[in-house]
Amino acid sequence: MPKKNNFLAYFLVLFTLSLLIFGSSKLGFLNPLDSFFKNVLSPLQLLTYQVSTKITDFGSNSQIQTLKLQNLELTNKLIDQTKLVEDNKALRDQFQTENPRSQSLLPADVVGAPGFIPGISVSEEVILSKGANDGVKLGDAVVYENNLLGKITSVAPSLSSMALVANGSFSLTSQTFSTGAQGVVKGQGGGAMILDNVLLSDSLKRGDLVLTKGDITIENTGFPPGLVIGRIISISKNPSDLFQRAALQSLINVSKLNKMFIVTNYR
Amino acid sequence: MKLLVLILLTIALCLEASLTTIPFIFLVLLCQTVLLRKEWLFIYAFIFGIFLDIVLFRTVGISSGFYLIFLFLVILYQSKFEIATGYFVFIASLIGSLIFLFLSGHTHLIIVQVIVSAIIGLVLFKTFQKTNLKIW
Repeated sequence: MPKKNNFLAYFLVLFTLSLLIFGSSKLGFLNPLDSFFKNVLSPLQLLTYQVSTKITDFGSNSQIQTLKLQNLELTNKLIDQTKLVEDNKALRDQFQTENPRSQSLLPADVVGAPGFIPGISVSEEVILSKGANDGVKLGDAVVYENNLLGKITSVAPSLSSMALVANGSFSLTSQTFSTGAQGVVKGQGGGAMILDNVLLSDSLKRGDLVLTKGDITIENTGFPPGLVIGRIISISKNPSDLFQRAALQSLINVSKLNKMFIVTNYR
Repeated sequence: MKLLVLILLTIALCLEASLTTIPFIFLVLLCQTVLLRKEWLFIYAFIFGIFLDIVLFRTVGISSGFYLIFLFLVILYQSKFEIATGYFVFIASLIGSLIFLFLSGHTHLIIVQVIVSAIIGLVLFKTFQKTNLKIW
């Protein structure tokens, strides 16, 4: 006689257990267990991510990669140089202009960055190998060189999760590098960003860099000023609108990064 | 067979945890449920759902709850009509992936993601169907 399946009993028991775990997780009762399993599973996550980046880098042209890196370096140098000139003019050259200062940066490995197509699609969230035990706090900025990548949205004892600037829920105040036009950068998902709420009287230039305006909270978290968010690739200006807007492109390909830096203690 | 499903789900967990938003765990579970119709798949759905939520910083229990509800609905449909068909798996993958991606907040290019997921689900189903791996 064939054995009778008892799906309903299995479903009811396991679903009730899921609900209990969901409730406990919401109330924070599972935090110790949660961080234990995160620690156990993170090496596997890291290994998968590193293998994947090696595979996706395999076919890419190394000369183009080198040129891109040089271009990024030159852009950073240009910004630093212009800042230095301005500081000299204001007789403030005694201050260090490197931004953000290396003392406040915490290097973190990328443990996971799930995106639609690995290595091609830009993911909206990244899991990093540093957590609350290393001094990471909610809202800390994440950078690469002087480029803003995103902010910390969840913190576990030894890992943290960050939302990229291109994330659909992300917005921050910013200004353009050469014209000083102020606006709000909003993530659009899939790597797209726009600079919105720019007054029609302000000037926007194609190719201009957009920088953070600075948004540090009293808890010492948030975005330091002068970090590069992206470059203006197109401008939409209509005289009948209240504001003008521009589409931005990040200078960094996040899907190729294995290491990022968390700004833990900006002063 | 249990070992094979365990290996497949572990690979799917690694992929979802680090690389892609395509719901591989859900697709593997769906195909195996349609083909095998065993209760132990519910236990796997529960465990892998919990692990997925932990590694992706989600509220723990949401994925396992979804997997269990969806797989139970699939099992309920077996009395109505034949579920071990490509059409059923494609439609179930489509609907399931759509709900799961909404729950996960991966709404960018969601239609494309859902279609790709359904195609992957169909390919997995046909592969499992053709490959008789009872030796596991």
